[in-house]
Order: sequence, then C-alpha cells, then structure tokens
Amino acid sequence: MIDLFVSAILLAGLYATMAYGLGLIYGVLRIVNLGHGGMIMVGAYAAFWLHERLGLDPYLSILPVAVAAFFFGIGMYKLLVKRLPRGAAGGVQSLLLLFAVWLLLRNAAYLLFTGNDQTIRTSYSTHSFHIGSAYLSWNRLAVFAVALVILAGLHFLLTRTYLGKAIRAVAQNPDSCTLVGIPVEQVYSFTFGLGTALAAVAGVLGATLFSFNPGFGATELLKSFVVVVLGGLGSVAGTAIAALILASVEVFAILLLPSYLTAAVGFVLLVLVLVLRPGGLFGQRVLG
Amino acid sequence: MKLRNFLLIACVCVACNKSGAPEGKAATPGADATPAPLPASIVIGATLPLTGSEARTGGFYKEGYELAFEEANAAGGVSVGGKKIPVELKLLDDTSTQATAASLADRLINSDKVSFLLGTYSSHLVEAQSVVAEQNHVPYVNGGGGAIEIYQRGFKWLFGLLAPVQLLSGAIMEWVDSQQTAGKLPKNVKIAVLWENTAHGKDFRQGVQDFAKKHPGCCDMVVDESFELNGKDFGALLNKVKSANVDIFLADAHLPDYVAIQRQYITLGLCHKVQSYGARGSEKQASEALGKEHVQYILSSVWWNAQLGKAGSTKHFVDLFKAKFAGRTPEWYQAVGYETARAMFLGIAQAGSVDREKVRAALAALNTDSILPGGKLSFAAAAGQQASYPFVVQQNQPDGTSPIVWPKESASSQGVAPNPDCK
Repeated sequence: MIDLFVSAILLAGLYATMAYGLGLIYGVLRIVNLGHGGMIMVGAYAAFWLHERLGLDPYLSILPVAVAAFFFGIGMYKLLVKRLPRGAAGGVQSLLLLFAVWLLLRNAAYLLFTGNDQTIRTSYSTHSFHIGSAYLSWNRLAVFAVALVILAGLHFLLTRTYLGKAIRAVAQNPDSCTLVGIPVEQVYSFTFGLGTALAAVAGVLGATLFSFNPGFGATELLKSFVVVVLGGLGSVAGTAIAALILASVEVFAILLLPSYLTAAVGFVLLVLVLVLRPGGLFGQRVLG
Repeated sequence: MKLRNFLLIACVCVACNKSGAPEGKAATPGADATPAPLPASIVIGATLPLTGSEARTGGFYKEGYELAFEEANAAGGVSVGGKKIPVELKLLDDTSTQATAASLADRLINSDKVSFLLGTYSSHLVEAQSVVAEQNHVPYVNGGGGAIEIYQRGFKWLFGLLAPVQLLSGAIMEWVDSQQTAGKLPKNVKIAVLWENTAHGKDFRQGVQDFAKKHPGCCDMVVDESFELNGKDFGALLNKVKSANVDIFLADAHLPDYVAIQRQYITLGLCHKVQSYGARGSEKQASEALGKEHVQYILSSVWWNAQLGKAGSTKHFVDLFKAKFAGRTPEWYQAVGYETARAMFLGIAQAGSVDREKVRAALAALNTDSILPGGKLSFAAAAGQQASYPFVVQQNQPDGTSPIVWPKESASSQGVAPNPDCK
C-alpha cells in the first residue's frame, strides 16, 4: 500500500505539469489547445536531441527547452491564434487550427527522427533507493521536485506579480482590462507562450521516464484534459489536486480491476464530473 | 411496338450472357480452359509497420523480405511452368495501426492490382489485414501473426509461418521444469504472468496455464494480469507483482513495452529467479536503452536463432544476410520475413501458375525444407494453416551473448538459474 501511495504522489507531479499549460491557456484565452500534445512530444525530442548531440543532461535542458518553446508559443500566437475570432465563434476554428499544428509537429518528428521509439538513458535512469520496503526512483523524485517548483512558480507569478494579476484580470474580463489600460493582446501572447513552454517542460520530464515516438503526447493530452476538467478550468491549485486524484485512482484501481482497465478509470471519472459537477470538483474559479 | 421492344431487349440480354462467363463456370481468373498468359513480372504486395510503435521490428521484416526478393531475382526470378519470372515487391507502411494495415491491403489488391500478399507484423495487425485478403480471394502468407485466434476463423487464403504463441510460453516452462529436475529451482514455484491484452497475450498466458495443469506440483500462477499494448506506466502493475513475492516473472510484451516494463522493474528493485518477456529479450535496442547489465539472464523464446545456422539452408541464409548487411547477424524477425517471402515463391513455383486459386492450393499442400526450427515447413489444415514447430529458448548472458538453452538437442548452454543477480 505504501508503494502504491508513493507511486501515486510521484505520478501526480508529472500529470500536474502536463496539465498546467492546457489549463492556463484555456483559463485566459478560452481556447482548447490541441497543439498541447504536439508540444509535449516536441519537448521530449528536444531533450533527446540535446542529450544525444551535446551530452546535456535532460534536467539541465529544461531551461533552454522552456525558453525556446516560450518564444515558439508567442510566434504561434502572433502568426495563427491571434487571427481567430474570440469567444464561442472561434471555438471550432481554434480546435481545427491547433489540431493541424499538432499533425504538422508530429510529421516533422517522423521526418527528423523516424518512427522508432527513443529513450534518454542517463547514468541515473535506473537508479533508485529504498525506504523500508518501498523503492524510490531518483528520476521520479526529480520529476516530482520539478513539478513542485513549477507549481510554486506559477502560484507566485499569478498571485504576487503585476503580470500575474493582469493575467487573472484578463481571464475575468478582457473588455474591462482594455478600459483600464492592461495590454490584453500582450497578456494573451505571454500566456500562450507560457502554456506552450509548460507543455514542452512536461515533455522533457516525460522523456526521462518513458520511451517516446512521434505519437507521444496523445495519451498525455487526454490525461491533461481529465486533470483540467477535474480541477476546474483555470484553477492552478485545483489542477494540482486533480492530478493527485487522477494518479491515485489509476494506481489504486489495480487492486480492484484488471490493469488494462485502469487507464479508463480516469475517463469514467471525467464523464462523472462533467455530468455531476460541470465546473470541476473545485468549481469554476479564476486563475490562482 | 411494345412487343418488338421487349424482344429486342431480350435478344440483347441473351447476347450479353453469351459474351460473359461460360455457363456453369465462375468467372474467376484462370478458370478458362486456356491458361492465362504469364506476366513479365509478378508483383507481390505487402505492408509492414515502418513507422509507429512497431517500426523497429517492421524494419527487420523488411530486411528479410528484401533479401528473399533479391535472391530470387538474382536467380532469374521464380520458376513458373518452366519459365523464370522476376518478382517485384510493392511494400507500403501501415504505421503500426490496424485500420491502415487493412485499408492498404485493399489498395494493394484493388488499385495496385498485386497478384499476392505478404503479411504485416504483429498479431493484431495480421488479424485485421487478413480479412481483406480473404474477402478478395488473394493468397496471404504472413510471418507476423502467431496468435491461434487468427487461424481459427476458417479462412482459406491465410497462411501463417509463426508457430502458435502457446508453444512459446510452453517452451519457457519446459526449461523451468528441466531446471527444477536438476535441482536448481525449487518445486511449486510461484509465477507472475503479465500479458498484453491481445490474442497474442492470451495465448501466452494459456501456454503457462496448460503447462501448469499438465505438471502438477510444478508451479502456481499467483499473479495473472493483462496490460494495454504500448503502455507507458507499469508502476502499479509491478507493485502488485512485488507484493505477491513470486519466484518467476513472465511477461508477454512487444519490444517497446519490454523496454518500458524492464526500466520500471529495475527502479522498483525487483529481481526474480527466472525472468522472461516472451519472444523479447535479446534485442540490441533493449540493451542500448537499458544497459547490458540490466537485461542479463533474461530468457526469450523465439521462432528462430542464428545459432541454428550451422549447415544447410539455415547457414545459407545467415551467410547471405551477413554479406548484404555488413556482417550483422540476423535475428528471428529477419529470418521469418525471409522465409515468409520464400514460402510464397515456393507456392507460386509449385502451382506452376500465377492463378490465385492454384497458388492457394499449392500453399495448402506445401511441405518443404525450411530454415525454421525442425527444418520443415507446412501449413496444416487442421491448425487453420498455421505452421507448427518447436521454439528455441535463449538466455542473455553478461558477455552480451544469448546462447540457446532449450531444447536440449539445439542448446549450446544449460542456462543460468536462479538469477545470480538476486540477493
């Protein structure tokens, strides 16, 4: 039981990191970013490339990958997303556009890296230590630590900085923000860049744990949806708690169900929440 | 006027009928009294998973196919009725997905007009693709589907070179039994069986169950769990294995899942007296991804091993492969791919025709020397035209080799049990 509990907590860190970017972009821009899965995959390949070519440790590659993805996200916003109609009218267009971006990224990865599964192997990839009977992987612990740093950083950004307050204000009412002089377009652009960077970081972390190919990111996107909807769209703390709930449900379901059904448990949970509490377990809240 | 029109239409209909198929005979190719003219080349279609999760294995099969086609064409082609006809492979990428494998087979038959089909790799893709071949009455020879279920559908046009997966796990259990008899492993060992949730996985599990039933006191299957193909996180499943405190860990997994499971197996501090991932274990890609020290003593039960190639056609294949691929030693994937294409050529040659029905009949009656273990290849009707022969069990050693440990007559090593790395 202790093993399972530890597994659930560590897995929750990865799930939360995967979902932050998706939740942030939806919370502020009201766009479901289907390109999120593609950026998770890009992050994984970027870390792989930096490790293979330059010998850079995947954890050290987090910063350069995040910065590059941030500017890529801003570029994508200015070139593509900005041109979409706002509100419900842009819903279908944004889904199609960002899905196309995902397909482009995936096919670019096929061209550059082939369809073979890749893994990042470091000296500590398979190292672990034990506390009593429970074995803890250094890698999983590091992923969890990075997830905590991201959670704290996001919380600080959104609650303690002017930019964060501007983001929250734009999430609440962009029209009023324009009236009081908040540069709404710049906030949108920054948020899209930040969300994209978070997706890429999640890809780097995922690549340290799992093998990946150009199809990587699809399952991760679905899990991110579950976490964001469970947590309540636009809620950072809710996202973290929802990640813990999803991870726990998946891990502990093995005690009751055949393991091939455990992944489906999360989706059953998603349907139940959508039917019973459409605003998520923690309600429809403003960011932070 | 109306009567005249009616008679005119009736005459046209009769004329149409006379110019169509002869009465009492189906309008199938080759059913005419005069044999169809032989083509300038025989185009054989195939799909393989060249991208996606099975891309690496698909690439190995491609090497086997290409080698067989090159060899046949170097000899002038396949002999059909005393005339040599070159063979041409039309190979497409099915992206490791069932729907694409099926739709590409349809395209190869109906749009590209290939004469015959070679199958793709992995049971679940073959299962979907073979339906298309059956519907279109095209001989379909595959070396990628080992699940018995594929051959229990009464298909006439389907031929499989992979021996049943139940025999695969049975061969591992026979080796375990031999180690128990030698006193190296205790009696009544506790076994964990993890199997991918496919027909392949179910057969693997069935093989262990059947062996346990036939050998009372040998073993007790205390963990029996399935998992989704191409999974990523197996932590919860492995924690269940850990808490069951078993002696033997058996999993049926494809290469990507083998690497993913073994990585988490190591970090969870697991170690068992005997460990196997079914047909996977000795692949270079796994030792590169995990480190040689993390795959040692893993058993794998495979359809072929290069160490069988000490003489005859097996040696010929190994030499041919090494000459083409810069001295690289072939694995079972390439060998089965090569033999699949060769079986198709033999079927065409023995039919003496490119007529699909005649080739199907020739394949059904085929009984030939083979590079596969046992040295013979045939497609028994009673087994749904799935070949059957003994598996070869090999074990990874610390020096990076994987000698054959079972069956005794082919073994170059007794194998190591229990795993000395377990403290």
